[in-house]
Amino acid sequence: MLNTSTSSALPPGVLAQPAFARAIDRLSKLSVDGYYNPYRSFAWPDAIDPASWWMPPELLSVWGTDAADTLDEATLRTLAKWESINFYSLNVHGIRELLQAVIARLHEPGYEVASRFFHHFVGEENDHMWFFAEFCLRYAGKLYPDRQVRIETAPDPLIENFLVFARITIFEEIVDFYNTAMAADERLDPAIRKINQVHHVDESRHIAFGRKLMVLLHEDLCRRGDEALLDRVSEYLRRYMTASIRGFYSPDAYRDAGIADPLALRRGLLSHPARAAFDARVLRRTTDFMTATGILRPVREAA
Amino acid sequence: MTDQTSATNAETRVVSWLLARNPELDTIPDDLDLIENRVIDSLDFMEFVFVLEEVTGRANLLDGVSVDAFRTRAAIRRTFLAG
Repeated sequence: MLNTSTSSALPPGVLAQPAFARAIDRLSKLSVDGYYNPYRSFAWPDAIDPASWWMPPELLSVWGTDAADTLDEATLRTLAKWESINFYSLNVHGIRELLQAVIARLHEPGYEVASRFFHHFVGEENDHMWFFAEFCLRYAGKLYPDRQVRIETAPDPLIENFLVFARITIFEEIVDFYNTAMAADERLDPAIRKINQVHHVDESRHIAFGRKLMVLLHEDLCRRGDEALLDRVSEYLRRYMTASIRGFYSPDAYRDAGIADPLALRRGLLSHPARAAFDARVLRRTTDFMTATGILRPVREAA
Repeated sequence: MTDQTSATNAETRVVSWLLARNPELDTIPDDLDLIENRVIDSLDFMEFVFVLEEVTGRANLLDGVSVDAFRTRAAIRRTFLAG
């Protein structure tokens, strides 16, 4: 992961609203009240039945396409195992990146109020990274490598401060769509349901926090009165959502499931209308929120 | 990839992919810094690597190489497409 960090300090006052401080106190109290020891909270079975569903078939990247019809049920179940390992691997890599960004801002000027919750956030995210990695290593013997490469940051630290928390929140909301479905699915092993349930509960606080930060930091960007900048930020976030969703279409998982020509399968899936509709459903809560708050702006046709 | 024709075809597909994403460009010079000039950015990178993996038939091209291997057309040819 290459990164050329810029100053992360914020101008005074951006996050100084009393309502934000009250929200921070409420979320911090919830974190304290819900505190748990992850190393004692999970009953790890010796094995997960390889013939069981490790992920609901309806969440698989092939679901709703003719590709799914050509695979027998045993292959779909194997694919579910490897797509679940891909999902947890995406979590581990995503969490590592967001932890770096948050730790870089802990107790930096402008983040005094937010830092009260950052400590809970960092601790909880470290726990999540541990139990997702533990699941992968115990039951699959590996994590999939990080396919994302960070090769630049926004030149303006104020934009980067906003984009960091926008990326974090979008990532958490995408993951939460899957966590919610997997936590409630009785076809899955109880250990799988538990890690998804625990993650969902913690992430509900993180998403609430992230959304509040996003709105305040975006309001600060809006005060510049630079419409072209706001359009570029909006366009970047649309591209970020697309790139994030594409991580779920993993050639590594297809390869491990024994599927021939995994890259060709991926290409076909990414152009399939059923997948576009599913991906839009995964993102709907996020796009609705960002549209309602003016963060996502209408796509302007090139002149 | 040792066959000259397939290397040329592979490079053509890579260049076509880059041009399709950058309609303001009509060519990709050998020494154009693709990252500095934002021909590819972080959000494109995973897709770009998959394109390279598909045209070379090799998996996990990110293993053991630095981002500089992807920085110019010449570097890509030298690292991934040459015999």
